Amino acid sequence: MRAVFLCLLACLAVTLVRAENHVTWEITPPVCGPGQPFRLQVRIESDDVLGPANQVGKEIKPPRGMALRFSGQVFRANATEATLNFSGVAPEDEGNYVLPAFNARFPSQMVQVPAITLIVSSKTGYRKEGRARAELVLPDRTFYVGEKIAGSVVMRGSEQETVTGTFGLECEAEGFNFQTEGASFTQPLQDGHGLTKTFELTPIRAGQSEFSLSGIMLVNTGERISSLNTSGRDRPFNFRRRLTVEHVPETGRPADWGGSIGKLEVTPPDVSNRFPEVGEPIKLKLTLVGEGNLERIIAPDIPGSDTWDIAPTSEKRQRRGEDRRTFIYTLVPRLPGELKTPAVRFSTFNPDTKKFEEVEFISVSVKVSGNAPAKVELVTIDPAAQAGTPAAKTVTGLLAPTVAAGAKGVTKIEPLAASKPFWLSNGVLLTALLLTTAGVSILGYLAAHPEILIRRRARRDLRLARRAAQDALRRQDYAGYAHAMAQGLRAGAAPLLQAEPLALTQSDILRALPTANAPLVAAVFLAAAGEKYGAKDTRQTLSEDAQLQAMLNTLEAQL
Amino acid sequence: MSRLLYLLAFWCLGATATLTAGVGEAAYERGDYVGALQAWRAQAEQEGVTADLLAALGNAEWKLGHKGRAMVCWERALLLSPRHPVATAGIKHAQGAGGADRPTQTWSENYAAFLGADGWLILGALGFWGTLLAVLVPKLRRQPPGDWAQRILITSATVFALSIPGLYGAYTLASRAVVRRPEVVVKLTPTALGETLNGTAEGDVLRTGRRFNGHTYVTSADGKGGWVKSTELEPIWGGALPANLDQKQAP
Repeated sequence: MRAVFLCLLACLAVTLVRAENHVTWEITPPVCGPGQPFRLQVRIESDDVLGPANQVGKEIKPPRGMALRFSGQVFRANATEATLNFSGVAPEDEGNYVLPAFNARFPSQMVQVPAITLIVSSKTGYRKEGRARAELVLPDRTFYVGEKIAGSVVMRGSEQETVTGTFGLECEAEGFNFQTEGASFTQPLQDGHGLTKTFELTPIRAGQSEFSLSGIMLVNTGERISSLNTSGRDRPFNFRRRLTVEHVPETGRPADWGGSIGKLEVTPPDVSNRFPEVGEPIKLKLTLVGEGNLERIIAPDIPGSDTWDIAPTSEKRQRRGEDRRTFIYTLVPRLPGELKTPAVRFSTFNPDTKKFEEVEFISVSVKVSGNAPAKVELVTIDPAAQAGTPAAKTVTGLLAPTVAAGAKGVTKIEPLAASKPFWLSNGVLLTALLLTTAGVSILGYLAAHPEILIRRRARRDLRLARRAAQDALRRQDYAGYAHAMAQGLRAGAAPLLQAEPLALTQSDILRALPTANAPLVAAVFLAAAGEKYGAKDTRQTLSEDAQLQAMLNTLEAQL
Repeated sequence: MSRLLYLLAFWCLGATATLTAGVGEAAYERGDYVGALQAWRAQAEQEGVTADLLAALGNAEWKLGHKGRAMVCWERALLLSPRHPVATAGIKHAQGAGGADRPTQTWSENYAAFLGADGWLILGALGFWGTLLAVLVPKLRRQPPGDWAQRILITSATVFALSIPGLYGAYTLASRAVVRRPEVVVKLTPTALGETLNGTAEGDVLRTGRRFNGHTYVTSADGKGGWVKSTELEPIWGGALPANLDQKQAP
């Protein structure tokens, strides 16, 4: 009974099943200019076999101002797909034009095509009339050495003159690398009348330079020459622009900046295996996307850690113009458990904002199974050590740093030994101390031996007296001569007798000079002080000058 | 009222300073080593470097894979504070896990590390002056040296004698440099085309000798000598933050 009920239910289910239809449409170009021809393609997919559609042209009712006709359909026998093609001309006025929903009648069923909206805008660059022309599309800003500048030449045609091709694109610009490789194919414009030729510029030095780009476009003028050929002509174009190039600023440049210039984004990191075992290598793919000099970027360096061994980077090189760059790292887990792949930060310079930006590849959780390896410090074990000797304990890992707030630091770490003021002040003090010590010692010695100074003073006085005596003799001043001689004899004899010079008499002189001529000495003293005592004429002493000089010399030698 | 305003201003400044100081540590803790590095560098440029700051910078540089810069920071931190725990751990980690070579310290260098170069120099200067004054002052006073003078003389002379190995160790410790380039060739002669003897890697610490022709004579940890380009080394003394040798020119 139950089986019969199930069969009945299955039969009812089959009758309830309806065919599912899927309708898509596409307008080329998506946005049309006023009066621009367009193409509408409607694709129908069904669960049933469709076959050819009937009377499609009668079903469709285009809005006012729009010309539209059914241009054909594509279908295959026993196929569940069909394509309906329409050709039309957009209205002359701007706006959104809704093509009402219509039915497509197939032999097996009727499929409803939903309403379709056509956008008409004058901003598309479509021209009905006019000569074909070329436009240079290049950002108007300061460029930076090493960045990749995407530029293009847009060759716009019209209904009368269609651009069908281009060749001979040449660039003359000092300080730039010009590349069309990777973007060598020329893309048609959406209106079908023109072409776009893209190129890449890379500044290689700073400064201002003239950028010149020339080429030739092939223009079809539409005049029919024969049944198989229409007339065409080459039309050259040339652009000149003065470009300013600077180096990427050094202020605010992060230490890890690797030469990246552009607007870059990161994609979620891709890990080859999220459940590895300890020691099993896995691949970590980091992909950068966006506009920029991707091929010039230096791969970020990821250091190993306590949980990961990270092998040197390999990378997947993309072709030029792919706008993506992938770095592949080999990671080997060292410990079991829930590990996270290292987060990788990446700095890039945005030429529009003129600032460095940072993007980050986030960490990915990886569940590592297996056992941790035995903690054997292979490096620190000494093979020559005796059995049982414990290995030297090494401190591994970094301690968490703590930085005291507000601590005043130094601007340059230099030893005190490199300080000039230190050595200068020490040198000056040492010199002063030594000089003082020497001075004090000398003074002390002289104080302990006063005869040194007395004899020195006596020598000086004796020489002065001798000079005075000679001067007096030259002037024939005999009294003066005798006076100076007596002074000299007193000065020379005083230290020997430890007496004051003025206190000495002729007999004291004779005590100091026992071999001296006593009458001569007496005569000198008499002549020197003769006026006081009524002495004789002092001329007789003149003839004894040599003896007196000899006496003075003898005294000086004894001092 | 104005005093109250001053107090409020000082409190705000203090709070800001604490906040700034904590930025680097917070970034470091969450694994944002570039952020930590930038914060600490900014702090170093504003307030000067301290041993704590240099050790922290060394950790961040190491985490970012800059071995040479990290070793320079740690070595300089040890110059300011010879037994700084973070810098010591960093250097041991670099030697163990990172494979960096560092010359084994001689007994005089270990002795010198006890006080630091400046400490030994100050101690030596005090000993020298104490000895000199203890000898000279009695002479200047023309009196025989008293008990105190003799005690000062003996103490100062002992201090001076003890400081001599420290000064020598500090001198040899100062004659070291860190290799800053990834692969550096040690040459037989100080010439561009000199014969290659061996190589040394970024982060290795070398003893340095005389300079000639843009090269420096170095002795590696295993005692091998040779000439290395001076631009590939960074002396430990004479700087604050590591020199920016890694600054890449714009491509």
